[in-house]
Amino acid sequence: MHLQLRSMARRFGANLAVDGVDLDVAGGEVLALLGENGAGKSTLMKLLYGVHRPDAGQITIDGRATRIDSPRDAMASGIGMVFQQFSVIPALTVRENLALAHASTPWFTGRGARRATAGLAPLAAIAPEVPMDARVSSLSVGQMQLVELAKALQQDPRLLILDEPTAVLGDDEVRRLWSLIRGFATRGLAVVLITHKLADVTACADRVAVMRRGRVVATGAARDLDANDLLRTMVGERDLAAPSTAPLPADAPTRVWIRDLSARGPGNRIDGVDLRIARGEVLGIAGVSGHGQDVLADACAGVLSPDAGEVIVDGETLFAPRQREPRAGRVAYIPEQPIRNAVAPDLSLALNLHLDRLDTLPAIPDRRRLEADARALLTRFDVRPADPGMAAGRLSGGNLQKLVAARELRGAPALVVASHPTMGLDLAASAFLYHQLFALAQAGSAVLWISEDLDDLLRHAHRIAVLHRGRIAGVVPADQRHRQTIGAWMTGHADAEAA
Amino acid sequence: MTSFDIVFGSFLVSALRSATPLVFVLVGETLVQRTGSINLGVEGQMLVGAMAGYGAAALWGDPWLGLVAGAGAGMLLSSVHGLLTLAARANQFASGLAVWMLGFGLSAYYGAGLVGRKIEGFGTWRGAGLDDVPVLGPIVAGMTPTVLLALVVAPAVAWWFWRTRTGLVWRAVGESPEAARAAGLRPIRVRLQAILLGGLLSGLGGAALSVDHTRTWAEGMTAGRGLVAVGLVIVARWNPWWVLPTALLFGGAEALALRLQTADAGVSAHLLLTLPYITSLAVLTLTCLRDRGQAAPAGLRAVMDR
Repeated sequence: MHLQLRSMARRFGANLAVDGVDLDVAGGEVLALLGENGAGKSTLMKLLYGVHRPDAGQITIDGRATRIDSPRDAMASGIGMVFQQFSVIPALTVRENLALAHASTPWFTGRGARRATAGLAPLAAIAPEVPMDARVSSLSVGQMQLVELAKALQQDPRLLILDEPTAVLGDDEVRRLWSLIRGFATRGLAVVLITHKLADVTACADRVAVMRRGRVVATGAARDLDANDLLRTMVGERDLAAPSTAPLPADAPTRVWIRDLSARGPGNRIDGVDLRIARGEVLGIAGVSGHGQDVLADACAGVLSPDAGEVIVDGETLFAPRQREPRAGRVAYIPEQPIRNAVAPDLSLALNLHLDRLDTLPAIPDRRRLEADARALLTRFDVRPADPGMAAGRLSGGNLQKLVAARELRGAPALVVASHPTMGLDLAASAFLYHQLFALAQAGSAVLWISEDLDDLLRHAHRIAVLHRGRIAGVVPADQRHRQTIGAWMTGHADAEAA
Repeated sequence: MTSFDIVFGSFLVSALRSATPLVFVLVGETLVQRTGSINLGVEGQMLVGAMAGYGAAALWGDPWLGLVAGAGAGMLLSSVHGLLTLAARANQFASGLAVWMLGFGLSAYYGAGLVGRKIEGFGTWRGAGLDDVPVLGPIVAGMTPTVLLALVVAPAVAWWFWRTRTGLVWRAVGESPEAARAAGLRPIRVRLQAILLGGLLSGLGGAALSVDHTRTWAEGMTAGRGLVAVGLVIVARWNPWWVLPTALLFGGAEALALRLQTADAGVSAHLLLTLPYITSLAVLTLTCLRDRGQAAPAGLRAVMDR
C-alpha cells in the first residue's frame, strides 16, 4: 500500500488544526508521527480515517484518488485505526466487541456472541491470555488496547494507524507492543505511529515526520535523527529545563495524615490506607491501574465520602464519614480524565477557572474582572488558545489538563492530590506542570501524586507508596535501588520484599 | 378445581389483560432507550394507535385490521420524532413532548366521531373445552389474541436482542455511538430503526387497549400509560426479558384496584385508580435506590447527564 496525502487542511472554529499537510507512507514501513499536544497529529489521522472530513486536500491510495467520508469507507480502503480514547465498548464482552464489526459474524450469535468465532484469530495471535468472555470493563488498560488492536487487525488492514498507543502502558506492555509493530511492518503493512515519546521512535520507527502547529515541519529516516534535534523541532525554540524536587529536610513536620481511610468507588475500593505526608513532601503512589488509585484520590480530595477513617490536614479533620469541609483553597485536586471530572465543558474558560469558588463570587459577577483574572492564569499556564470566553469543551486534551492545573495549583493549598497529572501532555507541558507541582511542594504543600509512570515517580517523588488491591503494600524512599521491591509490590508479591 | 384456583386464575387473567397494551409499549420504549435515545412521545403514539385502531375496527368490522392500523399510525407519528431528533438534531425531550401533544390533538380531532360507536372485538376461548383443564385451563381460555401476541412478542424480542448480530449492533450503538461509528456501523440509522419500531409497538399497544381491552374509544384514554412505560423501562433494567414481569406489576395493580372497587372497599374509586401508578412509582424508587441507574446503557446515561 502506498498512501499519499496532499495539502490536507481542517479548521475547527478559529483554530487551523491541520494546515496544508503533505505526507507519504509506504507498505512495510513504520512512520512515527511526532509532535506536541495540539500539533494536529491525531486530527490529521482522523481525517484519513473518516472521523472528521477535511476542508481541503487529497488522499491517494496506490495511485488512485480516494474519498473517505466515514470510518466505514476507510475500512473498505484497507485502513485500520487504534484510537487514543478507546473505541471498545466496556459493557460488552471481548468476544462481542470483536464480533461487532466482523463481516462473517453469523446472524444468530448466541449468548455473548459465542457462536462468532471468525474474528478471534488476531487477538489469539497477539494476546492469547486475554479472556474472551470477560466484559471489557474488567480488563486492564493494556489488555483493552490489545483488544482494540485486534479489532483493527481483524479487518485485515494494509495501513494501520496507532494513536499514542504507548501512553497508557507499563514497561513490559510497551516492549510487547513495539515488537508487534515491527512484526506488522515485516508482514508488509504500513504503520503510522502517533507519539510524543522519543523512545517509541528509536525502538520501532523507520521514518519520522514531525508536526508543529498543524504543519509537517520535518521528515527523515529515524536512524539519522538526533534526539535533541528532534526535540527542538517538536517544541520550537522553547527552553526545556528538567523539573526537580528540592530535598526534604529530615525533620519536616507532618502536614497531612490520611488515617485508616477506607472507601468504595465504582469498580474498586481502598481499605485501611494510612499515610502521612510531610510539609514539602511529594509522595508518589505507584500501582497497576484499577487497584484503587481513583478511589484514594477522590477520597483524599473529599469528592467521595469515606466509609471509615479520616483525612487530617494541619491537625484538622477535613473529610470523614458524614463530614465534608469545603476544600477550596486547602486541597487542590487534579483528577483523572479532567474532561469528565473537573470541567464544565459548555461553560467558558473563565467560569471554569472559578468553578471551585463560585460561592465566593459577588451576586452579580463582574464578567470583565473574571475574564481578566482568567486571562492572566491562562497565559501563565500556557493554555492554548488563551481565550477566556471560549467553551472549555473545545480545548484539546492536553490544554484541558493545563486548564485544570491552572485552577487548582494557583493558590497555596495544604494538600495537592494529582492523579496522572501529565497524562496526554507532551514533554514541554509535562515539564511545566511538574515545575508548578514541585514549586508548591517547596512552598510547603504536601503533594499526593498518583502515576503509572514509575520512572517519573522514581525521578521526582520523595517517597513512593505502592497500592495493591486497595491496600498500601509498602512505602520506600524513591530510589532506583528499590525498583525491584516496588515492582514486586505492584504485582502482589509481598514476600519479594526481603530479596 | 378449588375456589382458590378460580379466584387466582381469573385475577391473573385480568392482570394479563391489563398488562397487555403496556407490554407492547414497554418493549418498544426499551429498544428505543437501549439504542441511546429517549422518546417521551410514546403517550401520543399510543393515543393515535388507539384511535386509528378503533376507527379501523369500527369501519371494517375486523379487530385484526384495527391492530394493523394502530401499529401503522403509531409508527407514522414516531417518524416525526425520528426526523426531528436525528435529521434536524432537535432536543429529544422537546421533540418527545411535541409528539405527545400532537398525538393527543390528532387523536382527539379524528376520534371525535368514534365516541360511543360499537365495534366487533376479539373473542376469548371460553367454552372451547379449555375451561375444564385444571389450573391453566381457565387462564388460557380467558385470554384474547392480543394477550397471546404480547406473551410471544416480549420474549421473542428479548431473544433477538441478546442472541443475534443485529441485537448486538443495537446494544453497541446504545453503549457508545462513537465506538459503533468507529467500528463501521451506522448509529443514526439504528436509532431511527429503533424509534420507528418503538412507534409501531406503542401504536399496537394503543390499539390493543382500545380494540381489545376496553372496547371503547375516549379522548385521552391511555391515561398516562405511555409515560408510565418510559419510567417502567428503568424498572425493567433496560432488559426486554424483564418487560413481562414489569408490565404484569402494573397490570396486577390495576386489576386489584378494579377488584377492590367492585368489592366496595370503602375507599374512593378515584384513589383506587391511582394504585397502579403508585405501585409503579414505589417499585421505580426501590429499583433506583438499589442500582443507582448503573444498569442504563452508557449512551443513554450520557444523554441524561448532559
